[in-house]
Amino acid sequence: MRIASKPAENVSFAQRMGRNLVKDETTAQVSDDAMLVGAACDGDRAAFGRLYDRYARMVHGVLLARVPRPDVDDLVQDVFLLALRRLPTLRQPESFGAWLATIARNLANDFHRRSVPENQWSQETADSLDGKNTEKDHDYQAIEILETIKNLPDAYRETLILRLVEGMTGPEIAARTGMTAGSVRVNLHRGMQQLRAKLNLNTGSRAAEEETS
Amino acid sequence: MDTGNNPSENKLLAGSDDYLWDRSGEPDPEIQKLEAMLGKLQSNRPRPLLSGKAFVSKWSFFQRNRLVPVFASVLAIAAIGFVTYTVRGKKTAPIKIAGWDVSWMAGTPRVGPSIITGKEGGRLGVGQTLETDPHSRATLRADEIGQIEVDSSTRLRLLTMGSGLKRIALDRGTIRTYIWASPGEFVVDTPSATTVDLGCAYTLQVDDSGAGTVRTSMGWVGFTLNGREAFIPAGAACATRPNVGPGTPYFEDASDKFREALAKFDFEKSTPQERAQELAKILGEARKRDALTLWHLLARVDPGQRRLVYDRLRKLSPPPRNTTMEGILSLDRTMLDLWWNQLGFDDISIWRHWERTWAASPAPAPQK
Repeated sequence: MRIASKPAENVSFAQRMGRNLVKDETTAQVSDDAMLVGAACDGDRAAFGRLYDRYARMVHGVLLARVPRPDVDDLVQDVFLLALRRLPTLRQPESFGAWLATIARNLANDFHRRSVPENQWSQETADSLDGKNTEKDHDYQAIEILETIKNLPDAYRETLILRLVEGMTGPEIAARTGMTAGSVRVNLHRGMQQLRAKLNLNTGSRAAEEETS
Repeated sequence: MDTGNNPSENKLLAGSDDYLWDRSGEPDPEIQKLEAMLGKLQSNRPRPLLSGKAFVSKWSFFQRNRLVPVFASVLAIAAIGFVTYTVRGKKTAPIKIAGWDVSWMAGTPRVGPSIITGKEGGRLGVGQTLETDPHSRATLRADEIGQIEVDSSTRLRLLTMGSGLKRIALDRGTIRTYIWASPGEFVVDTPSATTVDLGCAYTLQVDDSGAGTVRTSMGWVGFTLNGREAFIPAGAACATRPNVGPGTPYFEDASDKFREALAKFDFEKSTPQERAQELAKILGEARKRDALTLWHLLARVDPGQRRLVYDRLRKLSPPPRNTTMEGILSLDRTMLDLWWNQLGFDDISIWRHWERTWAASPAPAPQK
């Protein structure tokens, strides 16, 4: 399955993705993942475009939890490119989200195997601090907090990034990643406790200590 | 990633963290502040255009693999070719047989009796042989499949160019492949194993005895012979020997002691006691990422030694919850596959899909 070439100007991503477009917006909105995956497998690139829209934040969050921020956007595209190529091998279309999250995690692992270690913090900071002073302070703080989250255990950091950076709710995280709602809720709760403790936020310190003890 | 699913804890949480969970309930000012601050780190890249997406993706792949100069050279050659063609005037496009375009790189590479020159290039069709001497090199390219650099002293044959399966036989020498066909579509037969592309880039080397080595630089590769399988992810390598098949894959940064013991374990004729000694060295030297090797060893050690491998692998990378020790020790394929997927290398279902396709494909052509 290769990507089409020579797109026309001013045509949407979804339209450019294939020959058979999803024409009925209403029908598409009520379609579930399995239906979209099935349509995408049949060559409906617009269906794949809808899956992209639905899952891009999740993939971004999964990658952001694992790789340096400047590389995340490129890797998001790589994940969807790989997914498009491998879609025919997906045996359970209803598990598309979990499958996609696995591809993203594996690609992040590949990234680390290929990469030469570098001072990620300084690079990210330099890349980000190019706005006005107040925005710089704000971004600096945000990156600092992101680094703190990335030092939490795997399950907590991914869930917290999806919630706090990507703005997904717990039920959305569960639906998109294939995790159970219970696990997501517990991961959010415990992760937030640890984050509060590390950031020295008053309300969380005691709770984190309680959990540790 | 599914952790901490504790029903009693969930009951306690209900109501206490509703805002964190789904933004219902009383807003938590600290979480609101974090949301506002961290929300700025969301991707601000616009929705990609498809052609742009394909281009950027391949471009970033090449960048990360430090192949930019190669890519730039290919573009330059393409541009020169286009200008030359335009200056000479439009000609009727020749009818192309199914196969790979051959480009001269050095010396006198040959397709059958024909010498490939830098001026005209050539075409490798199904059933034809490409051969390079110690001073020659060439490049194969097929738009829908990928590119293969053919090193000196190499002999390869094109077996098939079907819509679903592209198959080459590497009799000896070295090839470097960059494949963009779907996983499982590009297959290379060697005298001692079959290599299946499951990702993007790898180097395959075969010596005159038929022994081979594959080194993966991007994605992952499958190696198989008579049911003996090896999966080689980026950064790993795997040797293969005639009449034995694929050895056990290993990461190339593993310790010398680990790799030496593995080579002896895989290919040297030795007594059971000697094999046990080599296995002990392997297990003792194994690091976390050497779970790759240990997972493969589960199916390769004697049944009496399998528990040792299981215990060491379990410490390096715990098995998924829906597996059992009994199942793993009896080599239950579903459980082994689940464990593999948890190791984080790639999704083994891609390989299983290829196996089903492969089972229905024709046998390779006999070596000439």
